[in-house]
Amino acid sequence: MASLLNIGRPAGHVEGPEKVTGRAKYSADINLPGMLWGKCVRSPFPHARIVSIDTTRARVLLGVHAVITAADIPDVLIGRNIVDMPVLARDVVRFTGEKVIAVAAESADIAEEAVALIDIGYEELPAVFDPIEAMEEGAPRVHADTSRYKYAPIPPFFHGDNQILPPIPNVASRVLESHGDVQAGFAEADRIFEHTFYTPNVHQGFIEPHACVIDIPSDGSVDVWTSNKGPFAARSQFAEAVGLSAEQVRLNAAAIGGDFGGKGDLMDSVVAYHLAKSSGRPVKMVMTYAEELTAGNPRHAALITIRSGVTNDGRPTARQAKIIFNSGAYAAFKPLHTIHGSVHAGGPYRVDNVEIECLVVYTNNVPCGHMRSPGGPQVVFALESHLDIIAHELGIDPLEFRLRNALQEGDVAPLGERYHNILCRETLQAAADAAGWGSDKEPWVGRGIAMYERPAGGGSSSATLTVDANGRFSMLAAIPDTGTGSYTILQQIVAEELQVPLESISVHHGGTAIMPPDWGVGASRVSHTAGKAAAMVAREVREALVQAAARELNCQPEQVRWQNGNFVADTGASISLAELLKQAERIGELPITRSATYTSPGNYEEEITSYTAQIAEVEVDPETGQVKLRKIYSAHDAGTVLNPLTHQGQIDGGVVQGLGQALIEHLQIEDGVVSTAHLGDYKLPSITDIPELETVLIETPSGPTPYGGKAIGELSNVAVPAAIANAVYDATGVRFMELPITADKVYEALQASDNAS
Amino acid sequence: MKTINARVNGQPVTKDVPDNRLLIDFLRYDLDLTGTKEGCSVGVCGACTVLLDGQMISSCLAPAVFANGREVTTIEGIAEDDRLHPVQKAFIDYGGFQCGICTPGQIMAAKSLLDTNPSPSEAEIKDWMMGNLCRCTGYYKIIDSIKAAASQRSAQSGAAEGKV
Ligand code: FES
Ligand code: FES
Repeated sequence: MASLLNIGRPAGHVEGPEKVTGRAKYSADINLPGMLWGKCVRSPFPHARIVSIDTTRARVLLGVHAVITAADIPDVLIGRNIVDMPVLARDVVRFTGEKVIAVAAESADIAEEAVALIDIGYEELPAVFDPIEAMEEGAPRVHADTSRYKYAPIPPFFHGDNQILPPIPNVASRVLESHGDVQAGFAEADRIFEHTFYTPNVHQGFIEPHACVIDIPSDGSVDVWTSNKGPFAARSQFAEAVGLSAEQVRLNAAAIGGDFGGKGDLMDSVVAYHLAKSSGRPVKMVMTYAEELTAGNPRHAALITIRSGVTNDGRPTARQAKIIFNSGAYAAFKPLHTIHGSVHAGGPYRVDNVEIECLVVYTNNVPCGHMRSPGGPQVVFALESHLDIIAHELGIDPLEFRLRNALQEGDVAPLGERYHNILCRETLQAAADAAGWGSDKEPWVGRGIAMYERPAGGGSSSATLTVDANGRFSMLAAIPDTGTGSYTILQQIVAEELQVPLESISVHHGGTAIMPPDWGVGASRVSHTAGKAAAMVAREVREALVQAAARELNCQPEQVRWQNGNFVADTGASISLAELLKQAERIGELPITRSATYTSPGNYEEEITSYTAQIAEVEVDPETGQVKLRKIYSAHDAGTVLNPLTHQGQIDGGVVQGLGQALIEHLQIEDGVVSTAHLGDYKLPSITDIPELETVLIETPSGPTPYGGKAIGELSNVAVPAAIANAVYDATGVRFMELPITADKVYEALQASDNAS
Repeated sequence: MKTINARVNGQPVTKDVPDNRLLIDFLRYDLDLTGTKEGCSVGVCGACTVLLDGQMISSCLAPAVFANGREVTTIEGIAEDDRLHPVQKAFIDYGGFQCGICTPGQIMAAKSLLDTNPSPSEAEIKDWMMGNLCRCTGYYKIIDSIKAAASQRSAQSGAAEGKV
């Protein structure tokens, strides 16, 4: 490859000046003339029948312009895939925090006051919180009748047996994926191990709570500003929910204050629409952080049982996993019928016979959604802890055990996926070398290792690019930048393709009204699909410029080369970009605008994946149980690193989210009530919690993005909890089957093992 | 209603506000200075950090009347004309933000750190910044940005001294 001018160099965020000056507008920053504030009355019970509603006192409060209940709006359901959630609870509430009544008032304070003046009578119903109990025959049904629930067709990359809303009590979906013959595999084993793990709910922890603003102009169309990472999907769900055509709904650009998978839903926007309709005024709704924690869409709690057969020399012969995700009261927040992370129960290791059962179960808890590699951290914590236990039981070093089984070129992955350019062992070895695996440690110091693998997602992305007379290239992307720096990467790709300076290129979000469709942010697809759309559109603009240059230079386009800012003809005649643009303006050819949509052939394409190996080094204080995370070594099969600054940013942030899940975070839910209901109680890692971090990158230009980059955003967080748990075991001899590993749990376990010995 | 007379980002401001108005709402809604962000609303996340007479405070906890007769500095008020403050510039160059929602608060806190202690150690940075949460960056590049801003400032003041 010719040497690259922009790709592979650190570049600060293209939207930097807006974000560091406070000029960037997030949804909560949009203020419209006459705008009202919406607030909701939420259910205090996890499961109850609504028997009476009295809104009279709220309606007469000065400054209140609308009060709506389910009876005031059409009886429609919403959902990203399984459509099972009412806009406002109708007759029955299914979780504590469910929206029952909405009000719109002239200020947030008045709306709060109105909310407090509403009386709702409830008759409590038996509730169920534990997914195992929920699946028993006599269990209370969270949804008495699911017959009218619609769901999207099952995408082609699910090969297994998929059942949606099967006849098992409270089950939203059951997916069975298998490869080989597990029974035969277990028969071949010398030893069989089975362990059960639990990971509780955690919250995405974005600092921007969900917010939306709705405006209904007089033509009946709708303007929506909302913290949503997939504007086109949101537009169709919204349009369907409010009975409009997609074209009548505009999802407008607004910055997103952190997503991590949790901002793909409609949240309050449909309620806000009905408030706006009823009041005739624009309406803003901003969730408080307490609402986020109690009624957002946190990561699922999971109960995971893994059973493996192995030979005495450490070769797995069979693996069976049963993964139960507690969906909470609705499935509506999930973009798939299942949680796709379940497929990682096989791991990036050779095993010929695999069976994975994944159940998503309704309970009367807060409904859950996606978070950074959905299902991955739960399943990988279980699998990598399980493998560690097996290694110790067999008397094989945990690294050696993994190295023996790590996938290599030509191997078939556990569910039959055939990847090439497999760098699994190399990544594992790179992490081990960096960490000095096997070197001496002080007492109470431990090292633990874990791996994760995932490909970059596919899909469809669109971009437009315009060049003006001043040589400014303005790109509009149909995909939002949730903060990962994707626009900067698009900027770099355009700069590289056109050989123009980075500063001459701007990138902004184009709303749904002007852009061709796009799948939105998710599945680690952005640099891949939006990157390819950017490269395509840049080439089209280049082509248009070359055509224009050929005309100016009196030759054929094939005879023109674009070199150092000049178009040079075979004859030696040349014209600079600036001159060409001036000329083009004179004859009315400017601006030149092109648009392009890239659609990948499959959802996970090109049979290229990406590996991560992480090693944690911890020090445990036996007096207090405190786990001090000394260092994380993070090794990545990175492809081409398009922008080292933003790439490392994805690793940094992911590692710290991973350590939060491992040691700190726990969205505690007692009898359906979230008890960690503000950010003082639900602790996020702070600047004082971070360990030393050493990153090792294996770069090969083999990934699916332009210039060969691979996924990173959802790789850096996933294996961290398992690595830490394994390190704690190495330091203390105590094995934790549950997250988070807090000081009190370690202290108790150490006391118990002291007493036992 | 209460009347507030304050200087906000160097400009005199006089406004009548409800008695219970919080400083964050005064800034965001009465003055339309939406650069200051609201995250947790309970004084934990630091997204709402502003300077009151140069001291950093959480504007989500402070009553608006605190500003009476005092100077409030927000993220909108630290660049000089088009020239970014060195901390703002460093946050761009060193990757000190991603989504940017915590960034106004981080930058105001970092500015007040450097105003107090022009060349902080890493431990001092962590100590000062521990009330500013960030979910995106894992903090590493926030530390890099603050260090870079500190050394730039000291290089600049060194150069200024050199001229004398
Ligand atoms: S919003 Fe003020 S500290 Fe979080
Ligand atoms: S940059 Fe997103 S929370 Fe800090």
